[in-house]
Amino acid sequence: MPEHPANEGSLCPKGNAALEIVYNEDRLLYPMKRSGNEWTSISWDEALKLVSKGLGRAIKNSGPDFVGFLSSSKCTNEENYLIQKLARSLGSRNVDNCARLCHAPSVVGLNRTLGAAGMTNPIPDLANSKCVFIIGSNLAENHAILSRWIHRAKDSGAQVIVADPRLTHTAWLADLFLQLKPGTDVALLNAMMKVIIDEDLIDKAFISKSTKGFEDLVKAVNDYTPEKAAEITGVPAVDIIRAARMYAKSPASAILYSMGITQHTSGTDNVQSVANLALICGQMGKEGAGVLPLRGHNNVQGACDMGALAEFYPGYRKSDDPETAKFFGQAWGIASLPAGRGLTATEMIDAACEGRLKAMYIVGEDPANSDPWSSHVKDCLENLDFLVVQDIFMTATAQLADVVLPAASWAEKEGTYTSTERRVQWSNRAIEPLGEAKSDLEIVNKVANSMGLKFDYPDATSVLAEINSLVPTYKGITLERLGIGGLIWPCPSTDHPGTPILHSAGFKLQDGRALIAPVQYKPAAENTWTEYPLILTTGRISVHFNAGSMTRRSPSLMERAPNLFVEINPGDAAPMKIEDGDSVEVSTERGTTVALARVTDSVKPGVVFMPFHYPGTNFLTTDARDAEAKIPEFKVAACKISRRD
Amino acid sequence: MMRVYVDINRCIGCRSCEVACKRVHGGKGHVNVHITEDRASVPLFCHHCEEAACTMACYSGALAKDGERTSFSLDKCTGCGLCRLACPFGVVWTDKLAHKCDLCAPNETPTCVLTCPAEALSNDYEVALKRARARAGRATILGGKR
Repeated sequence: MPEHPANEGSLCPKGNAALEIVYNEDRLLYPMKRSGNEWTSISWDEALKLVSKGLGRAIKNSGPDFVGFLSSSKCTNEENYLIQKLARSLGSRNVDNCARLCHAPSVVGLNRTLGAAGMTNPIPDLANSKCVFIIGSNLAENHAILSRWIHRAKDSGAQVIVADPRLTHTAWLADLFLQLKPGTDVALLNAMMKVIIDEDLIDKAFISKSTKGFEDLVKAVNDYTPEKAAEITGVPAVDIIRAARMYAKSPASAILYSMGITQHTSGTDNVQSVANLALICGQMGKEGAGVLPLRGHNNVQGACDMGALAEFYPGYRKSDDPETAKFFGQAWGIASLPAGRGLTATEMIDAACEGRLKAMYIVGEDPANSDPWSSHVKDCLENLDFLVVQDIFMTATAQLADVVLPAASWAEKEGTYTSTERRVQWSNRAIEPLGEAKSDLEIVNKVANSMGLKFDYPDATSVLAEINSLVPTYKGITLERLGIGGLIWPCPSTDHPGTPILHSAGFKLQDGRALIAPVQYKPAAENTWTEYPLILTTGRISVHFNAGSMTRRSPSLMERAPNLFVEINPGDAAPMKIEDGDSVEVSTERGTTVALARVTDSVKPGVVFMPFHYPGTNFLTTDARDAEAKIPEFKVAACKISRRD
Repeated sequence: MMRVYVDINRCIGCRSCEVACKRVHGGKGHVNVHITEDRASVPLFCHHCEEAACTMACYSGALAKDGERTSFSLDKCTGCGLCRLACPFGVVWTDKLAHKCDLCAPNETPTCVLTCPAEALSNDYEVALKRARARAGRATILGGKR
């Protein structure tokens, strides 16, 4: 649609291959059950009976907290709302979604510092920016549409800074490229803040009027001289100083970040550091500025808004607050909803291993490929008494299930999605569901009914109406109002135009002030040592999507990137006699995987890179987690590489 | 029908044009994105040359000039492969029969231009000119830096 405000009709390669995924011959078309390694097609009636029996038995024998639900950030808002409602109505606190693996630190860190977790400014607003600072994001490959807005900013004189351990396609956009060591972001950001404070480039009026905690920050960053940060990060001190001046002196600077910031044991610290930098420079609440966390799935923002998270009910109402359980109990007509934080997606895997979880209902997620240390994940899921998986393909996770329910793809259903820029948009149904597949909304409704719950939602609009009444930021978002481009939340009433730029009139925290929450640099969980001398960092490439269950089935995309590869610096490759295209073994303490070597200068000596779209990569990654947000450290693991012969 | 201009400053090597071209041409794409080691990338496809060597080599008349466009008629193609040998840029292919960029005729705008996320492809001569001038101006101000 050329009239769409963010994409103007353009598409990334995955979008251009979408039909190959919808009409793929591997699509699940019938409910199936497994006995041993044999799969048999069954009727919906039988499937629903098996699901209600399997989940019901775990609840009856062990209790509702022995059942876990994984919702999907690829599903609609309405579906996510229903899945968390199903879990909590059954008495289980354990509902989460894969935002845990990508932006959980943003939810925690930005809610704490800014009072709202989301991109502060919409995508087209980037064109107004005079300095774009991209840290830990390869947006040229993963959010290709953003590059058009960054180019437009550059057309009107903006400068672009890119910080990344790899020379990526995004670095091609940069005027200044900072190639830092994986996991050293806090040191870089603290040093930049020290330069900005020392050179008096701070926004004093903004700091005194709209923030708290600046004095603590001054003390906390005092030790981070550019020279010291250069030692930690590997970025020359002059470049740190230049970046700090470019960012602080520009009239409108935006910070963009994604998984390179969040997927660390210091993920929450990294996010807070990013927010601190924006706050002391007053780059908030105005055009061309802000903090922009770029989401990985189409509806990560929406799934979190809808409360498909262990620590939040819909609208980010804290699940450990007794008032929350009371509020939703009244709204849903349930006497006692479970209060307290549930297990997160990654903790559910542990619990399955240790017998603290007996049954799981997984919707549109593939933890057996997408979670770290995947061999361990598979063992854990096999330990469950009952597993039901609902997906469009027979994923690695679905293969471990007792019952598989065929879901309709996005083209076969309707509902709202909330994009990375908080833009709530209605998606129309284009075709009828293939085979006997049903929309996730219909399936969850039927499962709830078969478990004895009175769910009566004939369509997405009926769920949206309930969301309108319970989530204040979505109150004014109704189907009639959602034209092309939708509405950007908060939209508190039906005559409200939406709020493209957050924080322009203060912050939704105590006294309306943002919190500057200083952090100290902490090294990554895994260190290299003689046995495992290289740092393995992971990420994405342009033609694949996440764990690849969809894109690895598209011929157009697969012919462009068929094999798992590992990027290695020529200086590391030469002593091991590894040449470009050689088949090599990459090992960590958790396992070994085979990949093709790509000998390239785009990674520094001592660092290797692998994309996680192929099953092999997460065999290697560590499940060490951020203490607060529980995100695993996908971005740093100690590894070794050897030739296969 | 206008030619397609490529701005390598803008190309991010995402290969969306490749996949889109393949999608609208029945599974045979006519664009190849070449990516260099330093991440410069450029989509390569038919230049629609004013004096097109492929049309001169094509004895059956399948390849011919049609205004600015170098058109191709599948019905007349014999699959001899001379066009592939004649093209100085390697952007005419033969897979039994020849295939190459047709600028998505009869559509006003080629699909690659519509789909390019980075606006690296355009079919507006004025846009291409304006960008080149702006870049030259910036380079002068910044003392030779892009």
